[in-house]
Amino acid sequence: MTDDMPLRFRLNGEERVIRVPADTRLVDLLRENFGLTAAKTACRIGRCGSCLVLMNGNAVNSCLLMAWQIDGADIVSAEGLATLPEGRIVREALVREVAFQCGYCAPGFTVALTALLRRRRDAAEAEVRAALGGNLCRCTGYASILRGAALAQQLLHCAVGDDIREVAHAGTSGQTDAAPVLE
Amino acid sequence: MKPRITNAAPRVLRPKSLADAVLLLAHAADESRVVAGATALQLEWQRGEPAPRQLIDVTKLPELAGITKGRVHMRIGAAMRLAELEESHLVARELPLLAETLGRVAAPGVRQLATIGGNIAGRTGCLIPTLLALGASIELAVDGAIFVMTLRDWLRKPVRRDDIVVSVQIPLLGTAHKTTHCKIGLRAAFTPSVIGVAGTLLLDSTGRIEMARFAVGGGATPPQCLDRAAASVAGHALAALDWRSLRDALVREIDAPSDPVRSSQYRKIAAANALVTGLGGERAIEQVCRSLPEPRPPAARDARKPDTVEVTRHALGERWRVRPDIADKVAGRLAYLTDHRRPDMLVARILRAGIPHARIVSIDTSAAEALPGVVAVVTAHDIKGQNGYGIVVQDQPALCADKVRYAGDAVAAVAAVDQRTAERALALIRVEYEPLPVVDDMESALASGAALVHGAGNLQRELHFARGDVDTAWSQCAHIVEDTYVTPRQMHAFMETEGGYAVPETDGTLSVCVGGQHGARDRMQLARILAIPEDRIRVVSSPTGGAFGGKDELTVQPALALLALKCGRPVRLHLDRAESSLGGRMRNPMRIRMRTGCDASGILIAQEMDLLMDTGAYASLSPSVLETCLEHACGPYEVANVRNRGRLAHTNNGICGAFRGFGANQMTYAIECQVTRLADAAGIDPIVFRRRNLRKPGSPGYLGQEIAPSDRLVEMLDAVSNSDLWRKPRIGTANKRLAIGTGFALLHQGTGLGSVVPDTGAGRLTLLPGGRIEAAFGLDEIGQGLMASIQATVAAALGCDRDDVLPVFGDTARTPDSGSTTASRGSYVVWKSAELMAPDFGRQLRRAAADLLDRRPDDIVVAPGGLRDSRANTDDLLISFATLAQNLAPQARPRAECAFDFPKTNYTAGNARFIFASGATVARVAVDRATGEVRVLDLEQHVAAGPVIDPACYLGQIEGGGAQGLGFTLSEDMILQGGRYIANNLDGYMIPTVADVPQTSRVFALEDLDRDDVFGPRGIGELGIGAVTPAIAAAVADACGVWPAVTPIPPETVLAAISEGPAQ
Repeated sequence: MTDDMPLRFRLNGEERVIRVPADTRLVDLLRENFGLTAAKTACRIGRCGSCLVLMNGNAVNSCLLMAWQIDGADIVSAEGLATLPEGRIVREALVREVAFQCGYCAPGFTVALTALLRRRRDAAEAEVRAALGGNLCRCTGYASILRGAALAQQLLHCAVGDDIREVAHAGTSGQTDAAPVLE
Repeated sequence: MKPRITNAAPRVLRPKSLADAVLLLAHAADESRVVAGATALQLEWQRGEPAPRQLIDVTKLPELAGITKGRVHMRIGAAMRLAELEESHLVARELPLLAETLGRVAAPGVRQLATIGGNIAGRTGCLIPTLLALGASIELAVDGAIFVMTLRDWLRKPVRRDDIVVSVQIPLLGTAHKTTHCKIGLRAAFTPSVIGVAGTLLLDSTGRIEMARFAVGGGATPPQCLDRAAASVAGHALAALDWRSLRDALVREIDAPSDPVRSSQYRKIAAANALVTGLGGERAIEQVCRSLPEPRPPAARDARKPDTVEVTRHALGERWRVRPDIADKVAGRLAYLTDHRRPDMLVARILRAGIPHARIVSIDTSAAEALPGVVAVVTAHDIKGQNGYGIVVQDQPALCADKVRYAGDAVAAVAAVDQRTAERALALIRVEYEPLPVVDDMESALASGAALVHGAGNLQRELHFARGDVDTAWSQCAHIVEDTYVTPRQMHAFMETEGGYAVPETDGTLSVCVGGQHGARDRMQLARILAIPEDRIRVVSSPTGGAFGGKDELTVQPALALLALKCGRPVRLHLDRAESSLGGRMRNPMRIRMRTGCDASGILIAQEMDLLMDTGAYASLSPSVLETCLEHACGPYEVANVRNRGRLAHTNNGICGAFRGFGANQMTYAIECQVTRLADAAGIDPIVFRRRNLRKPGSPGYLGQEIAPSDRLVEMLDAVSNSDLWRKPRIGTANKRLAIGTGFALLHQGTGLGSVVPDTGAGRLTLLPGGRIEAAFGLDEIGQGLMASIQATVAAALGCDRDDVLPVFGDTARTPDSGSTTASRGSYVVWKSAELMAPDFGRQLRRAAADLLDRRPDDIVVAPGGLRDSRANTDDLLISFATLAQNLAPQARPRAECAFDFPKTNYTAGNARFIFASGATVARVAVDRATGEVRVLDLEQHVAAGPVIDPACYLGQIEGGGAQGLGFTLSEDMILQGGRYIANNLDGYMIPTVADVPQTSRVFALEDLDRDDVFGPRGIGELGIGAVTPAIAAAVADACGVWPAVTPIPPETVLAAISEGPAQ
């Protein structure tokens, strides 16, 4: 279409250039244009957190972000968290605590938690709850997710400095409960 | 529902300077919109407001940036994002009240985008009361000039489309002061504002109030400064302030609207109370709140502690396993059926009635069909089979032909090349309606002369149950409690809304892949609608992102199937939340009038219940819910004289049907409240009272039916009696604003579909060529952990490892019909199948191995990974499953199948369950004495349901059910007005957030079964929600003396009972 806008942004570490209507939402770009379906659509008005992505390091609802708002931005989708040590540890901890049931909200929570723990590794539980305040889950009652967050903090605590890479790497190797550190 | 007409995308203009922005705006004010975070746009568009032609992005304007501390005020650029302000040390240090308020706006992800200017410009923002109380001014660019005016003056002026908020200027509070802020919402956090209130008191050196500023606003409440109340306190000594008078003055002055959720009076009193208690602390609370009842200590711990285990990762050690699908779910790799894409796939949309009750005069699809990119439009004319479906009664049209009965009724469906085209096509379908009177209340639906939703009348079903002589029994009662319990129209709110895809296969069959709860039944219903044989349809129904009963009926399958067949191409469809809310089934709202009496010694002798429940436009499973209600109406108590009636009414209020708990949780709410209230009336401890009235193990069930062994009700009472939470002292908080209370309730819930409904299970085991043991069940993975439970159960029965078992499920082409994944029946089906098949399948494995290895089958046992010598004292395998499978001809590979009836009772006069599970819930709550809001602090769930199959999944089911029950009790209700929902998305429908759930959540399992119990682990899917509501209700009563008979508990009712009313 003639009124499409050129859009250049970084997605999971790669430069992307695409022409789309200016009001195209990032969540639709991810799902429909780039085949990245970890971001889910459960409200499309910024009220559930299922579509969170990292934009310049902050967790933001990708259903609220229109193309014109992400020009030049650095976007990491839930798929891309594997490239971040904290992201890998967050995933590992949530797996070990079996933090989710249907799992539809899970990628959004991984983004919110990763954003928090990159900034404040030793956040108190109240801060963890505040950081997850925009993520709705209908299956778990959140208790398992909070246990997962606490375990992620423990794992991060044990993995100071360079060790973090190693721990995080070991942490995502298995599908099941491989326990690389602690206990 | 008004679909947004998505024509051209708006143009985005990015002026370099404020002057340019003002010019651009002046040039086309009516077509433009100034945007920064733009977080409100999607909300507005969802409401059907038109999209502007151009957006003027002001985020990069230097004039709108930065925070600067001046001599007398702080200047905050309007484009500063709320998250930036939250991080700002300057704001935290100089403007703590603003810092506190920021955290109450929306949620962190939204605050990353939303700006302070946007919060103000919308005039409904949650920051406004605080900014008014701080005396903020705003800097405006308008008509080429810059003005500064107070925020309060600006808010009084009419809205202009051509002004730009440039900055906010907030005076620094130099002298001693007190401030407070409170946002009263519909849940603990991330909530629309019911009313926000803020106040500041500037004090002189003697503690006298120099100046006060009070303000309210936010959401529907117009922003306003409360000048008269503020003036009334000026000059007074803070220490001697008459807070009650101030509160009353505030109530008189506040202008706040009523809406269907909260009244004007509630808004005023709650805001005024919050303001004075926030500023005046304990003294103010004592003046505006009534005194609390004396806490009543629980009776002495006289019970034996049952042998329960706390379900945690640490306590269960080796038993704690990680479910096989969790890593993919966490990494976002798991493909749900709504994630599936193919290049040739069309996109579908459904046209909904949008009108609650009307005759269809005509439907014209020609304009839609002519739109380029539209491939097919279907209406009732395209249905070759029966245009009606429903699990109990086939009364719901797949696409309406002559009449619509609720606003979400499906009238037509479109398949097009993309989403935008499909949406545009919907808007081009012209349906002419002749409106009919709307039946919007279940009582009036049954009154004579009511408009008819269906020809046969609005009374869909009426059931009775009676025994003994109730009329005489009342005269023997020493205590009688009567109340009408009202329960909400709860929405399932599964995170993945209904959707999936359909594919016409090259062999002429049709695949329909949509999340569901019983693929074989979906296939049967589709075959009836499409008039094609069942064996030409394949239904894939797993995995799905939550169901809770809401995907038990057909959802989007008929529209998808009709379109795929008409187009001859794959079609996908994923309802957005608004359409899911509009079209989906809800929990039946109920009005339960219950009268219960006991004699002087606390023995229950009479109960009468009159239940009325709404099914909305169609029956779905509501008749079965009604049956379940009548079966659970007395809970686990023996009552000699009973008379119960239940009626189910048709209305135009959406549609209702199955939802976790299925009527039992509502009954448990009513009867458990009744029992505790009678215990109170009789002066007997509620545990002791229950012990006197409990059904005896081995005795018949409530309807008189035989029931399975392993009654654990006494043990559940013992668990409560020994609970640390139950025995925790009921002390208030430091400033006494919160009243603390603890309550408990007992649960006795049937599983399975019941005695009068066909209920069969089936399973199949097959050794695959690669050596894995395929365990196939026609059940669905809806989040509960089906894969883990299949692996755990089959491995335990066979003796192999969990990972040797490959679960196959949710696909009619690959599984037998195991029945529905509902009614907590799945665990039994898997367990019973494993029990039935394992001996034979194990024998086949041993014989095959023996033949290959030239040994005796009796000397070989199944072991993790393969088979080993039963006489050897090592774990070494004789042969692995993989090697065994490789060496067997396909027809020689072990395979076992089973089919069986779910255990039933012989009682058929009504629907009765045979297998029951027991439980008890303890809740500790805090009641906000200023606002009447209730928060659950701690929740403890005791469950007696036999052996725990998978601890993590067990814990998840109970905790998750608890949170759903908490939402039912405190915040969830799909309210209708005139047959139309007032909320259609998660901004208005309030499921609990992480801020709403308890600080501590503990789950205890009692795993043992009676020796003669052959029925194995009970399903636990509905136990977590079962007794949460009455436990919270009892805790509220304990905290403040009010028994909540209406759920979600209206803060208004609580507040009226605990707060001194304002002087007239």
